[in-house]
Amino acid sequence: MSNTSNLNSPWRSKPQPHVVYTGGGLENGMGIEFSGKRGALFWLALKTGFFTILTLGFYRFWMKTRLRRWYWSAIRPGGHPLEYVGEPLEKLLGFFIAVVILTFYIGIVNLMLMFVSFSVFESSVIGYMLSFVGVIPIWFYARYRARRYVLARTRWRGVRFGLEKGAWGYAWRALWYWALTIISLGILWPRMTFLLEKYKIDRTYFGSARLLQGGRWQMLYRATLPFVASLVFLAVAVLWTVLIDPVFPNGIRDGSALFSSIDDLIETGKTPADWVKPERVFLFPLALSGMLFGAIYYRWVSKRIMANHKIGPDVQFASRLSGVRVTFVYVLGNFLAYLVLIAGLVALVLFAAIAFFGGFGLAPEMMGAEALAGLPRWVSLILFAVVYLTLFLMWGVLHNTFVTFPLMRHMAVTTSLPLTAGLELISQRARDEFAEAEGFAEALDLGAAI
Amino acid sequence: MSQGFDGFGSAFFDGDSPVPKEVSLHIAAGMLQIGLDDGETLRWPVDEVRQLPDLAGGKTAVLRRTTDPLSRLHLNDLSLLAHLPHLNRRAPPKGRGRLVAWAVAAVAAVGLQIFVLVPLLADNLAGFIPPEGERALGEATFGQIREALDETGLNPLAICDGAEGVDALNTLVGRLGSGRDLRQAVTVSVLDHKMVNAFALPGGFVVLFRGLIDTAQGPDEVAAVLAHEIGHVISSDPTRHALRSAGSIGVLGLLFGDFAGGAAVLFLTERLISAQYSQAAEIGADEFAYEVLAQAGISPAALGDMFANLQAEYGDSSDLAAHFLSHPTLSRRIIAARAAVDESIAYAPSMSAEDWAAVQVVCD
Repeated sequence: MSNTSNLNSPWRSKPQPHVVYTGGGLENGMGIEFSGKRGALFWLALKTGFFTILTLGFYRFWMKTRLRRWYWSAIRPGGHPLEYVGEPLEKLLGFFIAVVILTFYIGIVNLMLMFVSFSVFESSVIGYMLSFVGVIPIWFYARYRARRYVLARTRWRGVRFGLEKGAWGYAWRALWYWALTIISLGILWPRMTFLLEKYKIDRTYFGSARLLQGGRWQMLYRATLPFVASLVFLAVAVLWTVLIDPVFPNGIRDGSALFSSIDDLIETGKTPADWVKPERVFLFPLALSGMLFGAIYYRWVSKRIMANHKIGPDVQFASRLSGVRVTFVYVLGNFLAYLVLIAGLVALVLFAAIAFFGGFGLAPEMMGAEALAGLPRWVSLILFAVVYLTLFLMWGVLHNTFVTFPLMRHMAVTTSLPLTAGLELISQRARDEFAEAEGFAEALDLGAAI
Repeated sequence: MSQGFDGFGSAFFDGDSPVPKEVSLHIAAGMLQIGLDDGETLRWPVDEVRQLPDLAGGKTAVLRRTTDPLSRLHLNDLSLLAHLPHLNRRAPPKGRGRLVAWAVAAVAAVGLQIFVLVPLLADNLAGFIPPEGERALGEATFGQIREALDETGLNPLAICDGAEGVDALNTLVGRLGSGRDLRQAVTVSVLDHKMVNAFALPGGFVVLFRGLIDTAQGPDEVAAVLAHEIGHVISSDPTRHALRSAGSIGVLGLLFGDFAGGAAVLFLTERLISAQYSQAAEIGADEFAYEVLAQAGISPAALGDMFANLQAEYGDSSDLAAHFLSHPTLSRRIIAARAAVDESIAYAPSMSAEDWAAVQVVCD
């Protein structure tokens, strides 16, 4: 068979995309099912999150492992679940290794930076900035390493995935593309998105088969349309309300005058006589929400476009992901999760006010306030800590249930493999031992949660 | 005796090729027999079969054999599971020694860093920061402290500016520092807060709280506290402390990081560490204070009296809260201060009655 040569790296000829007729169903190809129930995930996230709090955070390695096992096994290309074989103990080991290495870097480097910042610049801001900038390359490095670990511990139909070494190469490229993106005022953002994805995908294996990110970076401009349109809309709104036909023709002399005018507006419903069509200021929140929508839309639709150009040897991917739907899920899910967080925080502040300071004059009217204020201080402290931790637990659980779950499900069911002829020629790859697991990402809080 | 199961929809993966193989399933003589299409039959002893945990969906199961890390049997007929006795038995953990070794190494690295390397480096570097730099560091920290202590959340905590009181305090500093190289100009400020405390910041800032002046039985006690804080300024303790914090906060951030915000844990731990390592510095500042007070003709016992007031206010270090006051046991220091009194000398008050009255109303 002529394609066998493609299967062993380094391949001698690049796989070429085939024209696959998907109109009449997936005769030769396969779809991806998603078979998990939201309720089951909720309980798993709640249970493991609870243990994490009980163990002061140590169970998080187990929590992460169990959640990944669940998510992976819910995703079923051709009806067969993915398998996550990562172990909690190896994550714990990786965390220790990363702490040993990073302690010296972070401690000494921060101290030196502070010293230089005060000696030379006489301010701490530069020191904080430099210490932040210094972590950025390690941050990208850690992201690539974390991805390598996760892929090395992912199997489908008993065959391992894998990512080649190359974390520093990724970190330097990421820094360079970011610099270009900033210099070009964001115009080269799609180039960064595409080239970083290509760097990762071109080093990704399934068994013996290497994947390839095809296409060109210019194709991602399509995904920026909603964002660019909102930006133009914002620019026009600014021009109209500030230059062409100003809302405040006499200018705003001081902020307090503006606030008192707004108070009048709320109480009497009348606007000051010198304002011109003030309802136009509502164009700004509209334009800004459009930009938020556009940013989320870009992130996911660029994934779809690139997925449609991912190929392996006689294997091809296709995605029908809906940008609008994903954005909706993303916004609504995050809204729910943050709503709980904010409601909880408000409750917490009230609780603290009553328990520690006897309330700011509002205590007597509230039910139970007397009893709370009468508690010994250490009981209040423990109660406070419990409520605080529960809040973050609930946020994590809701985020899993209402953001990660629907997004994963949508991604899974909209992705398919229209061409799978090459699968038969794939064989197993060797295990990637990878002692430090995702320790760096864990220590640097990259949120490598799922 | 053999029992058959429904193999429809089940699949076997040999751990090499991602192509499913159809199977027929039987259990006979303590063996799970997996019949493949090519006529081969795999025999897995039932007590060596394990089930993959946390599988989503619930209507299927994935089985593996303990001796084979790669092969997988995807199962649709769950009635088979009842015949497998050790489905959820865990493998004995591997590499436990290695894990413990790295855990010890991580704790040791953090300990070495926080208690040895960072203090060592901070102590050595503190002497090299130019005065302007120290001043900037002190101003920034002072601003942060004033904001942190404010309870209204609007303006930084007020600095008391009663002109006569401020003059009296400055005169006192001049008297205490006469004939000595204070390394840098000492700036005294009083903060309008009821806390009974005082502290020194890099760049020669000495800060008293109104509560301390209110609690003091006389001007000598305030003078004694001032002398103590000037002792910190001279040995550049605050600068070292600031550098140490910069180093150790980053390290602790690594450890506690994203677990539930971590900020609270970070703050408390940092306080504990600073209380730990400034005890030697406190004793040094006390000794400096006795010397300066004696030279200015003020009784060193005043420092002991101030500590006695503190003790009455907060109790001794025996309870947990006192540990966060970053001072060694007060009783010991009261005895030391009283021992520093020379009976043969007639001590004079540190300021006139009018000046003391002005200092007492400096915040009004």
